[in-house]
Amino acid sequence: MRIAVAVKQVPETKSVKMDPETRTVVRQGVQAIINPLDLYAIEAALRLKESCDAQITALSMGPPQAVNALKEAVAMGIDQAVLISDRAFSGSDTWATSYILAAAIRKLGGFELILCGERATDGDTGQVGPEMAAALGLPVITYVNHIHELRAGTLKISRLVEGGMEKLALRLPGVITVVKEIGEPRLPTFRGKLKAKKLDIPVLNLEILQLDKQLIGLDGSPTRVVKIFRPEIVRRCHLFRAETETQTKAAVEAMLALMNREEVKSA
Amino acid sequence: MLKQPAYQNVTPEIAEALAAIAGKKYVIYHDPENLEAFSHDEIPGTEYRHMPEAVVRPETAREIAEIMKLANREKIPVTPQGAGSGLSGGAVPVRGGIVVSVDRMNKILEIDRKNMMMTVEPGVISNEINECLKEYGLFYAGYPMSLETCFIGGNVAENAGGGKAVKYGVTSRYVLGLEIVTPTGEIVELGGKLVKNVTGYDLVQLMVGSEGTLGFFTKIILKLLPLPKAQADLLGLFETLEQALDIVPQIITGTGITPTSIEFMDKNSVKAACDYLNETIPYENCGAMLLLTFDGPNMEQVENDYEQVGKFIEKHGVQEIYVADNPATTERIWKIRRNIGEAYNIISTRQSGEDLVVPPAEISKMIAALQNITGKYGIMAPCFGHAGDGNIHARLVGPPEWSDDKWKKTLPLILNEIYEKTAELGGMLSGEHGIGHKRKKYMKGFVSEEYLNLLRVIKRGLDPNNIMNPGKIFDFF
Repeated sequence: MRIAVAVKQVPETKSVKMDPETRTVVRQGVQAIINPLDLYAIEAALRLKESCDAQITALSMGPPQAVNALKEAVAMGIDQAVLISDRAFSGSDTWATSYILAAAIRKLGGFELILCGERATDGDTGQVGPEMAAALGLPVITYVNHIHELRAGTLKISRLVEGGMEKLALRLPGVITVVKEIGEPRLPTFRGKLKAKKLDIPVLNLEILQLDKQLIGLDGSPTRVVKIFRPEIVRRCHLFRAETETQTKAAVEAMLALMNREEVKSA
Repeated sequence: MLKQPAYQNVTPEIAEALAAIAGKKYVIYHDPENLEAFSHDEIPGTEYRHMPEAVVRPETAREIAEIMKLANREKIPVTPQGAGSGLSGGAVPVRGGIVVSVDRMNKILEIDRKNMMMTVEPGVISNEINECLKEYGLFYAGYPMSLETCFIGGNVAENAGGGKAVKYGVTSRYVLGLEIVTPTGEIVELGGKLVKNVTGYDLVQLMVGSEGTLGFFTKIILKLLPLPKAQADLLGLFETLEQALDIVPQIITGTGITPTSIEFMDKNSVKAACDYLNETIPYENCGAMLLLTFDGPNMEQVENDYEQVGKFIEKHGVQEIYVADNPATTERIWKIRRNIGEAYNIISTRQSGEDLVVPPAEISKMIAALQNITGKYGIMAPCFGHAGDGNIHARLVGPPEWSDDKWKKTLPLILNEIYEKTAELGGMLSGEHGIGHKRKKYMKGFVSEEYLNLLRVIKRGLDPNNIMNPGKIFDFF
């Protein structure tokens, strides 16, 4: 069985700062890591591999340095990696990205299961998994928190939904996106690092994938970012002195009035 | 035998005199609620606490000098205090009197790029030093583990060590000059922006590690290094503690590479921390972990270093090695090391944090003895710390079912046995936390009477009235 895991390289969120002028993320000097939520997809794939004889390929679309994210995945135990990279791909939104990823998966061929993280911590949309499934014409199950069994080409899973859990069966090939509850990701090992260092990671570019230029990059992206802003937090602090009885009384009354105004309901 | 003349109390008149020196706003007096914050450091429990009578928060060396002159005239003890994050009671005013807090003296005075040095005031948070040096491509190599809270003044007073001492040494290596206020209120400059200097006694190094008993540091000149731009960690899982510790001295000699830090954690520490953090690393069959950090000017060099060391330990029976070369993974593996203490706080509050130091090659024997002794008394003793420099943080944890009384009676017996063994191995009572008043009574087991007399001669010479931080390290009389 062949499994594909799609991963994204993102800036390390703890050190991310916003440029107050341009209102965009300052990427300079920020270290790049595997999207933390994609680590769960890698872990899910590795656990499946332990129960069946699977070959896992990690895929990532991004600039040439995204190869480091793929190497990290290999150091965790993934078998192979493919980078999808071309200048023409830059500026792609989730729609165009899904289209390119789907083309790469088709090109590589033969995957029975495609695993994705819930969403990326930078864009935070959670759209690429389902959109890629649509582009591939495959069924998709999102928010998978447990894989029960894989038998005769059918994956039995549960997914977290608001207020409960759904148990579903997915006839492969198909796409799933997983949540944290799937299992704590393992750490990259020293042996894995050495293997990753030697591994030749092929690059799929525009020429190889033969894509319609109208459907990729900025031209192929229907998303328009109209405005980015930081929500302002306004706190109106009132300090009441309660040193004398009169002051205490006045403070209590003022607080009651405030609570009535703000419609604070008694518990 | 000489006896300590009685100290005087801080009267309202003296509080007023303090206000006249530092400003009324910066004197706390007759205000137990606010004084309480200055009555302790970070030793768990209340045993080593003591309330000050007054707190002053001066802004200049001149103000401190005036306070010291007043204190000598009126015979009032003065205890300097930084962030209060110490672990020996060094900043606790055990004789009451005045606490002088340096929290307002928190300016970075100069970054001298040409000399690769900087001048700071004592109340600068150690972490801020490196935050501010980043843009100049420089860094200060002193690295106590509490760097987000502690002050540089306290680091110098305790000669703080920390995790990076294997490669970079301890605080003293980076202190080139000091402006001090002596216990009698003189302002004196020691050392300077000099890499070499033998003009007179090396009083800078006398001051470093003097635990606030010999003088206030009002300006500190620090030596800086080029900032290492890349870092990676290896986490090695070993079957037994002996295996892990035996390999430590061989790592450096066997590879020619000096890691930035070599930390170890025994089975109990690992289990407690991993359980506490819900960490899923397969630690069940592992008897100890080694955490090695490498840093350097670029990732290629760091990678080359950790690969060589990794291959070396692979040959010596490691179960598994994990690699962290980005902030997310680094944080995950260092979390284990940093949360051992927290994890044990949940198990039992009856604890004694030890800071033993032995010659690095004896660390294996020391831990075997520790386990032996604590096992005999039926207490828990997770051992962890700086394997690369022989500094062991054993945490003696009393069983939750013991009574307080039993713990109080048994602990000194256990400590005596442990300290005896430490001394036998050529070790000392404290590697980096200091003596303060917590470990004072155990000094005699480690140093000679002649040594203590030398300390007294120095102290009496500088502080004839025993005004500055009395009751610490050794007895004045």
